[in-house]
Order: sequence, then C-alpha cells, then structure tokens
Amino acid sequence: MGNAFFVVWRESLEAFLIAGILYAWLQANDDSGAGRRALFGGLAAGVGLALLLGWALLSVQDELTGEALDLFQTATLLVAAGLITQMVLWMRKHGRTIKAQLHADLSAAAERSGYWGVAVVAALAVAREGAETVIFLYGLAQGGELSALAIGSALGFAAAALTAWLAARSLARLNLGLLLRLSSILLLVLASALFVTAIDRLIGAGWLPPMLDPVWDTSLLIDDATTTGKLFSDFAGYRARPALTTLLAWAAYWTVVFIGWRKSGRG
Amino acid sequence: MKHALHSAVFGLFLASTAAFADDLPTYKVLMKDGRIFPDTLEVPANTRFRLEVKNEGPGAAEFESLELKKELVLAPGVTRTMVFVPMKPGIYKFFDDFHLETGQAKIVVK
Repeated sequence: MGNAFFVVWRESLEAFLIAGILYAWLQANDDSGAGRRALFGGLAAGVGLALLLGWALLSVQDELTGEALDLFQTATLLVAAGLITQMVLWMRKHGRTIKAQLHADLSAAAERSGYWGVAVVAALAVAREGAETVIFLYGLAQGGELSALAIGSALGFAAAALTAWLAARSLARLNLGLLLRLSSILLLVLASALFVTAIDRLIGAGWLPPMLDPVWDTSLLIDDATTTGKLFSDFAGYRARPALTTLLAWAAYWTVVFIGWRKSGRG
Repeated sequence: MKHALHSAVFGLFLASTAAFADDLPTYKVLMKDGRIFPDTLEVPANTRFRLEVKNEGPGAAEFESLELKKELVLAPGVTRTMVFVPMKPGIYKFFDDFHLETGQAKIVVK
C-alpha cells in the first residue's frame, strides 16, 4: 500500500502542481473566469487523453509500434516544455499589463490564444503522467490485493492534490509581483525538466548523438536512481551523469528563457 | 551544404532502420514482483543490441534508466523490446520506477 501511495502521489503531482500554479495565477489576474474554465476544460481533456494513451501503451506489443509510441511521447514532452515556457512569458507580459491598468489595450485575440495555451498545457500535463498512472492502476487491478492497493492510490491522489493546493494557497497569499515571479520560476524549472527528459529520450533512441557521455558523475552526492534523487530528476531535470548534448540543451534552454524574460519584462 | 544535409538525413534514416534488423544480439530481463532478474547483465561495448523486457507481474512495472536514457512502462504479462545504441564500457544502472526500493539492477558494458 505504501508503494502504491508513493507512486500515485509522484505520478500525479506534476499535473496537480501545474494546475494549482495556473489556478493561483488566474485567480489573481483574470476576473472573467474564462481562464479558469479553460484550465478545467484542459484538465478534463487530459484525463481522456491519459486513458487513451494508457490503452495504447497496454495494447502495443511489437517493436515498430513501440518505437512510434515512444517518439510520440517524446514529442508531447517537447510540446509541453515549449508551451509552458511560452505561456510563462505570456503571463509575465499579461500580468504587467493588468498591473499597469491597461487591461483594455489587451486585444481579445491575444487573450484567447493565451487561454488556449493554458488549456493545452493542462491537458498535456495530465495526459503524460496520467497514462503511466493508468497502467499502474491497471496492474493493481490485475494483481489481487485490490482494496489495500486501491486505498493507497486514492490516498496518493489526495496527497498530490493537497500538496498542489497548499502550494497554490501559499502562492496566492503573496503579493501579485512575487506570485507572478515565483510561479513563473516553478513552471520554468518544470519545463526545463521535461525538455531534458525529451533530449535524453532522443539520445537513447539514437536520434541525437550524446557526444561526451557522461561529462561528470555526481551519483555519490545525489543518486538519481533513488527515491529522492528521482524526484529531483523528475521535477528539476537533475542528472547524476549527464551527457554533453543534454547539458548543452539545458544551457540553451535557460539562455533562451533568460533572453525572453528580459524582453517580456521591458514590453 | 545541401548535399551534406541530405546524407545526414539519410544516415539518420539508415541508423533508425538498422534498429529493426534481425541480426542484433538479444538480451533478456525479467521483472517480477518489484524485482529484476538478473540484477547484473553483461553486454559487449560499442555494439548495438536489443533488450527484451518481460514483466511477469503482479502489478505494472516501469523499466527506467537515466544513464541509459530509456523508459518503458509494462503492464503485467507484457513483453516489450528496446534497441540500445552502442555504448562505452562502464556500469549503467537501471531500475523499476514503480518499485524503487527493491527493483535495482545494472548493465555492465565490457
């Protein structure tokens, strides 16, 4: 039961966190409620996608379909990382506009596209890890000790929701400027982790050369094959033994983000 | 320049189709009840190879390795294969992400 609890907590935390941070931000910045509706619509669509992807992963047997599915998952990682980053920069601009009482100047089209971004990001966040949770739960159902495991996973869901709710609540308590900056940084760190995972998967599939691999080994400090280290790698993109390609991609990501951040702050 | 790009794309295509060639050496890993057998697998260095992973259950398993850059979710009773790119000699850890406490193993590349 303890294991079911932990796995479900970790797998669903990312989606809950993204949803919680977005919710806190929308609550502070969007009076119309359109943004929150987009968020919940996206979350619902994500559950549907997760079930679909979970079913696809269950029924796949042969290598070719497996590789295609792998590539699809890598693509969703890249899209999610890109969209979150773009959305954070949009949020930064949008938040400043509102603060400067220039709400009327914001075109309806820009607002709509921003909410579309919110919905798609929410859907992808749920679908990605949700598909793995679907398989994990399916495995439990096949397994026997149903009730103990079901309680464990229900508690895991609840704990993830609670974790995200606490994060969103504490974010909402802050003043608007700090809320915007902190939630942006959290989302960007998450996006960088998704990007690093995508690059690693491309290397693992032979689509990208690793160049020097590994550049260093910090597994004595934090081992990414342990419970805590795995959390670090899932949420912050930590690698104990990174390949040079992964490192360069990570550095390039933060360079682009830094330039975009400076630009959107000035506008 | 254009020619170089073409051959690079063609090379990638070749590399990806070569992955499906049947003459690859195949190694087997069994995942069972949160444990991995064998816990040490030896493979030759600088050689492309195929790994056949079977999850006997009960419960789902997730073959994962950050060092090998692979991730594969397996429902109980499912067998899947992965192709690994040629690797340098060394020890590469992998684990069952659904059972981190018990499911740890390594691939030794020689």
